[in-house]
Amino acid sequence: MKLRTFIKKRFGLALIFIGYAVSILWVFTRSDPIIQKRPVTISLAHWQLERGPSAGIAAIIKRYEELNPRVHVEQQMVPDAVWKQWMRSNLAGGTGSDIMEWGMWLAGQKDIPARYFEPLTAELKQPNPYNKGTALEGTPWEKTFHDGLIGPRRDSPDPGQIYAVTFTEVSTRLFCNIALLREITGSDRAPKSFDDLRKIFEKVHAYAQRTGKRVNSLAGSRDNGIWIAQNVFSGPLLKVNYSIDESGYLYLYNRQVLAAYLDGKWRYNQPGVKAGLQLIREVADAMKPGFLQLRRDDAMLEFFSGEAVFLYTGTWDATSLRQMASFEIVPMRLPPVTPDDPEVGPLIKGVGGEGQGETAMAMYLNKSSAHKAEALDFLRFATSVEGQQLFTDASLWLPAINGVKLPEPIKSFRDYQDGYALGQAPYDVIGSEVSMTWLRNFYQLSGAQGSPERFATVLDEAMPAAIRKDLQDEMRNTLLLVKPADTQIVAYAELAGETPEGRKAATRQTETEAGQTMSEGLAFQMKEQLERTAIGK
Amino acid sequence: MRGSPCFPDVTPLVRKTLLCFGWLCLAGGAWAQDAGLGEVWRNLADRQNTAAQLALAATPASAGRERQLAEAVVKLGRQPVTQATLREAEGELAQLAQGNDELAAQAGYLQARVWSVHMQTPDYARAAELYRALAKRFPTNHWARLGLVKLGMLTLYTLPEPADPLMRLRTVETMMPAVAEPPLQRDLNLQLARAAVLFGRPETETLVYLKAVDRVGGLVGLVAEEVVLQLGELSLRVGRLDESKAYFERFLRDFPTNNRGYNVTLKLQEIAARQHAAKGGQP
Repeated sequence: MKLRTFIKKRFGLALIFIGYAVSILWVFTRSDPIIQKRPVTISLAHWQLERGPSAGIAAIIKRYEELNPRVHVEQQMVPDAVWKQWMRSNLAGGTGSDIMEWGMWLAGQKDIPARYFEPLTAELKQPNPYNKGTALEGTPWEKTFHDGLIGPRRDSPDPGQIYAVTFTEVSTRLFCNIALLREITGSDRAPKSFDDLRKIFEKVHAYAQRTGKRVNSLAGSRDNGIWIAQNVFSGPLLKVNYSIDESGYLYLYNRQVLAAYLDGKWRYNQPGVKAGLQLIREVADAMKPGFLQLRRDDAMLEFFSGEAVFLYTGTWDATSLRQMASFEIVPMRLPPVTPDDPEVGPLIKGVGGEGQGETAMAMYLNKSSAHKAEALDFLRFATSVEGQQLFTDASLWLPAINGVKLPEPIKSFRDYQDGYALGQAPYDVIGSEVSMTWLRNFYQLSGAQGSPERFATVLDEAMPAAIRKDLQDEMRNTLLLVKPADTQIVAYAELAGETPEGRKAATRQTETEAGQTMSEGLAFQMKEQLERTAIGK
Repeated sequence: MRGSPCFPDVTPLVRKTLLCFGWLCLAGGAWAQDAGLGEVWRNLADRQNTAAQLALAATPASAGRERQLAEAVVKLGRQPVTQATLREAEGELAQLAQGNDELAAQAGYLQARVWSVHMQTPDYARAAELYRALAKRFPTNHWARLGLVKLGMLTLYTLPEPADPLMRLRTVETMMPAVAEPPLQRDLNLQLARAAVLFGRPETETLVYLKAVDRVGGLVGLVAEEVVLQLGELSLRVGRLDESKAYFERFLRDFPTNNRGYNVTLKLQEIAARQHAAKGGQP
């Protein structure tokens, strides 16, 4: 009786005590330690959840922490499906990781670098200290990258500034289920031209109909579809691009393509562009119907199930393919569309090139990082010969810098197609609105009801507004950089002097002035183009 | 008489000690003030406006005109940017610009920038007027010369007069001697080159501007590569084969990682074929 009364009276207290004990246990066993062994923790966030990169980055971190006992590095892997929202909300809230991945193709995110990331231009001019004792000792950091950081320089919101360093190099390949190809076509020869590939598509289609087996030429998904479409679209666009290259860049930036459309210099229904649409229709029809509703994992699954002969994807998937497939996979180059192509040959200027490889997985330094110096130091190590060798060996992804020994299985990924450079992007992804309008209407191109003519007509009706909006966004994003540069220029001027720091400030003042003038000029040009081509004028 | 009006009841020794202490405090204060403004500028250079604001709050109001300038500059970047804050900053800059020193020129330049790019609805005519006035008052000052570069861009793209594109180009050309500093002249020439392409002027005209850009050099990033590429391509378009060849060869030599190398190699083959044909050989 007494016990019952006691329990009754003290039940609340006991509950609090138990709760407290559980909390203590949780804190000490499950959450971060109360006292960090290392005084500085930096974080690196990326969306590369494929097999490979996380192991590569973990290898870099392990060695870096050995060399720098006061720094702890956390790798944060965020699925690409939520990356954009995650990145923006964290950056806006001041809780962004110290180092973050970013890509200019992320729709609606073009303003991010200017708003939240730190330019690395000055640092990239200095040698990377972690390259001491290697062939790259004394070489400016920027020059140690295999492509001279062409992507971050091209995609920089601020001409003349470089905002990122890259961790790897990627190319796209046609990964082939070689046994299935042999079974269907009687040969395992890689197609040499797009017309050879076209013939394989026909044979696979006939085989599927004849045998009743579920098999497609290309494993299909929205992602894989977009990648292959961009490649085949580029062939005929070379001629169109060169016809409107008034500046003589031998290349077109998205802002130039957008402005040229508003000026009436090209249309989706002109023969060169329509030829590109025709090629996209051919590759789209080689995938399963409804592929636009699927993601890249679905395409992988289709390929692994033996229901597709080829998977067109980037070398970023190569490690996963190698580890997970139960059959032999041979990477092949997507054969180029050539001027002798029987369908679109007369509209082809030449073979589109892959350049000398473009480095990727661009990592940016968060402007608001509490440990900028440590984060920058980690980036230096990660892109040193030692760091990249660790990354490459553990991930089987190509390194971004020179002087790294390539493991045997990935040597062929550096065998690039030489050819013409097109520009920043093919005409389906020259802006966020353009991409969305394209995808919204894509059903007009593929399938029994679709056709290049129909799709082109619909695009020319819908695109003017989308293109105008994208050019306005380009202008706004450019202006975003111009305004804060005023503050910086004056600040550098005040800090300029005869000390080493003062001289550095003077150099930065001159560079920022030049960069600002270039950006401002571009913004004014876009303004002029928008006003001149405004509806009603 | 013992003491002084300030220290009526203390011995001379204590008085001297207190005075020394006072001087030390003042000197320390002055040092702290310098360090404070340095911190403000460092934060602003680092694009850390909030930290700059905090550092500024820690410096004494007596820090003079430089502090006033820093205050106005901080206001230009203070989030959220409001038109009221910008107008306030513009007023302060206008007042600082009344002086006759470097700081006045700097303030005058920034005042024009407020109207040119910072205001939600820019007033290009007002900005142009301020840039012109600055150039007149401080003809040899860097900020006035930088202002002329910006005036050049306004003239090319936004001001109503001159309306004729060719006249716009010519008007900006006349500013070049007053810009005087080679890096600024280079930047203005690059703007002229881009405007010439936009206005559909002949390639020969664009080439004049681009050559002026190239003579100064020092550009960073892809722009440096593209200027050489443009010089090669536009020279080829107007039939200056030797010049074009020299620029393209330089491009391949200096920028081996640029992915336009293949295009340039083909251009060089085209030039060789045309030169061969011109000498009487078969193309």
